Amino acid sequence: MKFKIKFADQIVGLFIIVALAFFAVIVVLIGANQRWFAKDYRFVTSFPSAAGVAPGTSILMKGFTIGKIDKLRLNADNAVDADFHIYDTYYDKVREYSILELTVSPIGLGSQLLFHPGTGEARLEEGAFVPTADSIQGQSLIDQELVLIPPKDDTITRLLANVNPLLENTNKTIVTVNRTLTEVNRALAGQSSGPLGDIVGDVSVAAAALPGAMAGVGGIVGDVESRVAILLDQAGSLLAELETIAGNLAATTEAVRDPTGLVTTLLDPSGSIKTFLDDDDALYKKVMSIVGEADKAVRSLQGIITGLNGEMPKIAGLLNETKAAIKQAQDVLEGVKNNPLIRGGVTERVEQESLYSAMREGSFE
Amino acid sequence: MAIISALGRAARTKASGLLYGLGFFYNVLKETGRFFRRAQVGYKVLIMQILFTGYEALAINAIMAIAIGAAINVIGSSLLPQFGQSQLMYSILIIVITRELGPLLTAFVITARSGTAIATQLGTMVVNHEIEAYMAVGLNPISYLVVPRFIGVVVSMLVLTVYFNIFGLLGSFIVVQVVNPTPIGEYLGALMSTLTVADVLSGLTKALVFGVIVSVVSTYQGFAVNRASTEIPVAGIKAVGSSFILIILADVIVTLVQYA
Repeated sequence: MKFKIKFADQIVGLFIIVALAFFAVIVVLIGANQRWFAKDYRFVTSFPSAAGVAPGTSILMKGFTIGKIDKLRLNADNAVDADFHIYDTYYDKVREYSILELTVSPIGLGSQLLFHPGTGEARLEEGAFVPTADSIQGQSLIDQELVLIPPKDDTITRLLANVNPLLENTNKTIVTVNRTLTEVNRALAGQSSGPLGDIVGDVSVAAAALPGAMAGVGGIVGDVESRVAILLDQAGSLLAELETIAGNLAATTEAVRDPTGLVTTLLDPSGSIKTFLDDDDALYKKVMSIVGEADKAVRSLQGIITGLNGEMPKIAGLLNETKAAIKQAQDVLEGVKNNPLIRGGVTERVEQESLYSAMREGSFE
Repeated sequence: MAIISALGRAARTKASGLLYGLGFFYNVLKETGRFFRRAQVGYKVLIMQILFTGYEALAINAIMAIAIGAAINVIGSSLLPQFGQSQLMYSILIIVITRELGPLLTAFVITARSGTAIATQLGTMVVNHEIEAYMAVGLNPISYLVVPRFIGVVVSMLVLTVYFNIFGLLGSFIVVQVVNPTPIGEYLGALMSTLTVADVLSGLTKALVFGVIVSVVSTYQGFAVNRASTEIPVAGIKAVGSSFILIILADVIVTLVQYA
């Protein structure tokens, strides 16, 4: 009898037992390598998108797999919450300020989830939140140099690391310009309630109020001119009176100097002057009252002139400010008129011409 | 009109054949349940079936597994690093060997070797009226002839799939050492980290389904022989053809179920 037939039972038994043994060894090896019986430390993180991440994605640190992603779920804020675990052999790497970084191959060769340990002394407690590098919290940790990030060692990644911030800045600038233009358009359309809208509204109100203001300024100037003219007229009349008085005083003085003249006649005790003056100081008192009146008039004139001199710089300043305001208003109106962003511009005024003159000029040309 | 009649007749024949096949499969399952309570009936037949179907196919199975595993290793280790994806080699190896080609190629080998043998043997027994003799002495042909072959093929299929995985995943490592020397610890560590129980169970599930298909189709085609010896090779050919088609269909369905 052939060997195989004679020992068929033993051969088949061995054939099956060896296969079962191999199967058991494979299962044990799988369990050992996949850490079925090892302690894992679980943490949570959040990604802006699940692209490039899936349950089972390895978490790498310096090329070593130190953990895996367990579960992903979309939360109410449209971010992706992720549960992941770190092997117990690498738990001491998970320190304060640690972050995760999802790097995507620039030429479409998949992605890697990298772990960067923090510089803190304390280990993170199980269940703690570990931010990602592209989150605000992660960026803050990187900016404060609280996390150890090794330099990227491939050229394309290095280039992209430099290009990405530029692109992000360009993108932010474009978005800002776009928002600004939108805001300007809305402001010019009168739909904005922001500062720019207020400014445009104020300019519009100011431009609308400018003719009234100009009329007010004209009124003020006219009023000032009329008051100054009245003051100048009063001052002129007073000066004329003073001139007459001065002339009279000069003639009197001349008459007093004449030895045969008026003084002698006045000093004659039997003369009419003496008689006239011997009136118990009545004339003297009269003269003194006249002098007092003249003194009052001179003081009043002096006060008017002093007040006028004090008001003149203010009047001059007011005129200068008015002139500057008119120039600024003219510049604003010209700028608003020349601004290409204004849609529609300032409505042109339609001047209504005299029908008679227009028809006549047209007919006789 | 004649064409319509012919189509109707063909459809009725196919439906009848399908119902007969389902009834045959049901009887096989029913008798399989009883087999282990009266194992003495076909125990020796079962052992011989596993010997011929499993043990004797081990050599060709191992050679195929090593060759395919080595080919995947060599191609992967030279191609994938160009894309910076060397670690994918283990995933590809596992998907190809454990999930797909392992059970599929093993089923093809068993169909080619044992399927034809079973159909031919049973067809010959029908032609020689041996089946009638079994029935005359009170032996149920399904219990005594089909069930041991059914169990033998299924067990052989499962065991050979395990061996295919072993040789495909580990045996290829020996060949790879010639081309690309790699430490065994690193290779095994990476391989076992990537391999999951789901991968292994997926391959074994396919092996179980394929084993059932090959054994049932082969025994059915063997019993389908009527009286002429010329029908015997036809039964063998039909057994192989039907088994291949059903195996591929089952492979697609099982894969869809697993990945759905």
